[in-house]
Amino acid sequence: MKTQLNTNTPKTKVEKEPALKGTLASVLFLGFFLIFTWVSVYFLFLNRL
Amino acid sequence: MMNETWKVDARDGKLAMAHIYVAFVALALGGLAGLLQVLVRSGKFELPAGISYYTILTTHGVLLGLVLTTFFIIGFQFAAVSRTAGTLSDRVRFWGWVGFWLMTIGTAITAFYILIGEASVLYTFYAPLQAHAGFYIGLTLVVVGSWVSGFAMFAHYAKWKKAHPGQVSPLLTFMSVVNMVLWLVCSLGVAATVLFQLIPWSLGYVDRINVLVSRTLFWYFGHPLVYFWLLPAYMIWYAIIPKIIGGKMFSDSLARMSFILFLIFSIPVGFHHQLVEPGIDPAWKYLQVVLTFMVVIPSLMTAFSMFATFEMYGRSKGATGLFGWLRKLPWGDARFFAPFIGMLFFIPAGAGGLVNASHQLNQVVHNTIWVTGHFHLTLATTVVLTFFGAAYWLIPHLTGRVMTKAMNRLAIIQTIVWSIGMIFMSSAMHFAGLLGAPRRSAFSTYGDAPQALEWIPYQIAQAVGGTILFIGIILVLIIVTNLAFFAPKGETEFPVAEVAEQAERTPLVFENWKLWIGIAVVLILIAYTVPFIDMIQNAPPGSKGFKLW
Repeated sequence: MKTQLNTNTPKTKVEKEPALKGTLASVLFLGFFLIFTWVSVYFLFLNRL
Repeated sequence: MMNETWKVDARDGKLAMAHIYVAFVALALGGLAGLLQVLVRSGKFELPAGISYYTILTTHGVLLGLVLTTFFIIGFQFAAVSRTAGTLSDRVRFWGWVGFWLMTIGTAITAFYILIGEASVLYTFYAPLQAHAGFYIGLTLVVVGSWVSGFAMFAHYAKWKKAHPGQVSPLLTFMSVVNMVLWLVCSLGVAATVLFQLIPWSLGYVDRINVLVSRTLFWYFGHPLVYFWLLPAYMIWYAIIPKIIGGKMFSDSLARMSFILFLIFSIPVGFHHQLVEPGIDPAWKYLQVVLTFMVVIPSLMTAFSMFATFEMYGRSKGATGLFGWLRKLPWGDARFFAPFIGMLFFIPAGAGGLVNASHQLNQVVHNTIWVTGHFHLTLATTVVLTFFGAAYWLIPHLTGRVMTKAMNRLAIIQTIVWSIGMIFMSSAMHFAGLLGAPRRSAFSTYGDAPQALEWIPYQIAQAVGGTILFIGIILVLIIVTNLAFFAPKGETEFPVAEVAEQAERTPLVFENWKLWIGIAVVLILIAYTVPFIDMIQNAPPGSKGFKLW
């Protein structure tokens, strides 16, 4: 027996996502800065071993 | 009377303002102490009349780290719950006043014993340094007063929930409740060490103290204390700044989620302050370091949310390009500018925090003045500039006045002065710390040791920065005095942001307190039970008290 597909699914309204390119760039910069600082002090730690 | 009001009731306003007055008096006195400290550490100045550097250092830490923050936060939160969940009942307001007076009397007692030189134990009051019992009793009153105020807020929230079954509570009220729950759970630690260890020991009822237990209880409290300072700043960023810039909040759910994560993860992390402490198994330190890194998540969520709020607003105003939205922000409005600069400073502050919390990296900076530089970015810039920005609308709202253009301009200048001063002072502290300069120490060349001589230029830079910051304190006190007593009469808005249309509906699960407090308690028990048993079972004989000043 064939599975009956529900053809009465109401159309969902597709809302436009806000463009957040600048936010993406900003959080990437933030992540880079955090990693850069961490790695810098880590190398200082290694140098002083 | 349990609905949102546009204006905070005058009686609630009085309660909030009483807290704010004490906060700014503490800023004036604590700031003066800070200026004296940086001058002493430059090596070019000595305190007159035999005043000890450590007395001044304790005054600075207690007044700014504990008094300014706690009073401003509780005052701000009383105003916020009154504004968003309706005017306080007479009973809640009465207990709010009881809390205020307990805290104020406690502060006065503590300040007295510090100023007469009987309690130069710094604001962390580590045993075996032993202060006069009055110092600890005063601090106890401050904490008990804050609990009374916290329960008053819980009662107000419960009344709102009863009147609005099945509804999501107002965001600022929800956030205030989270912050007071966090405060209540964490301050049990400091209450335990003060009541059961430090007071009996300082009164001479017991001779010796288990130092490791007392320090561990302090840091069980000490790290979430940082979040107790930070969360009100986040309240302002999430729920107020979007309204000030004319935009909408990115997501109510995300804001609540980040607050719940702070409640869960900010307490079982105190060991990252004790990474070089003997007597704690490294495995437990490792667990708490992992939990500390979990707290990074809600801060990163906050950063994302703020960028998104700003970008959405800028684009709605026609901004193009990757960063065109930055130009659309209201740079001339001190209510926005001061907190925004605070947010920027949180980037290096957070980066430094990750270094502090990493076990190996902590060995590079532990007990150096790097750490002082770090919390002057987090607390003394991010949090404090946000509080200043909030004071610029909160005080005139509560006193029925308006901020003039001249005062707004002065507030912009104040923010710039603060930023310049802090860049000098905090950067110098960070660099000197990497070169090994200790924190919590008066000026010394350590017998002209070459390493100590390297620190002196940085210490002079700290003095320059600290002096500029003191000018910043004078400016903010001028503005606050103007707003409280002299600004023209009128109506000032208490801004509360609306949520963006495309945001999802907020689920009620965020207010399932049994669930969230339950998870927090389980994590605390996992992180602390075995180490505590170990500390007590394998304890050394304990230490007598020392007065090294």
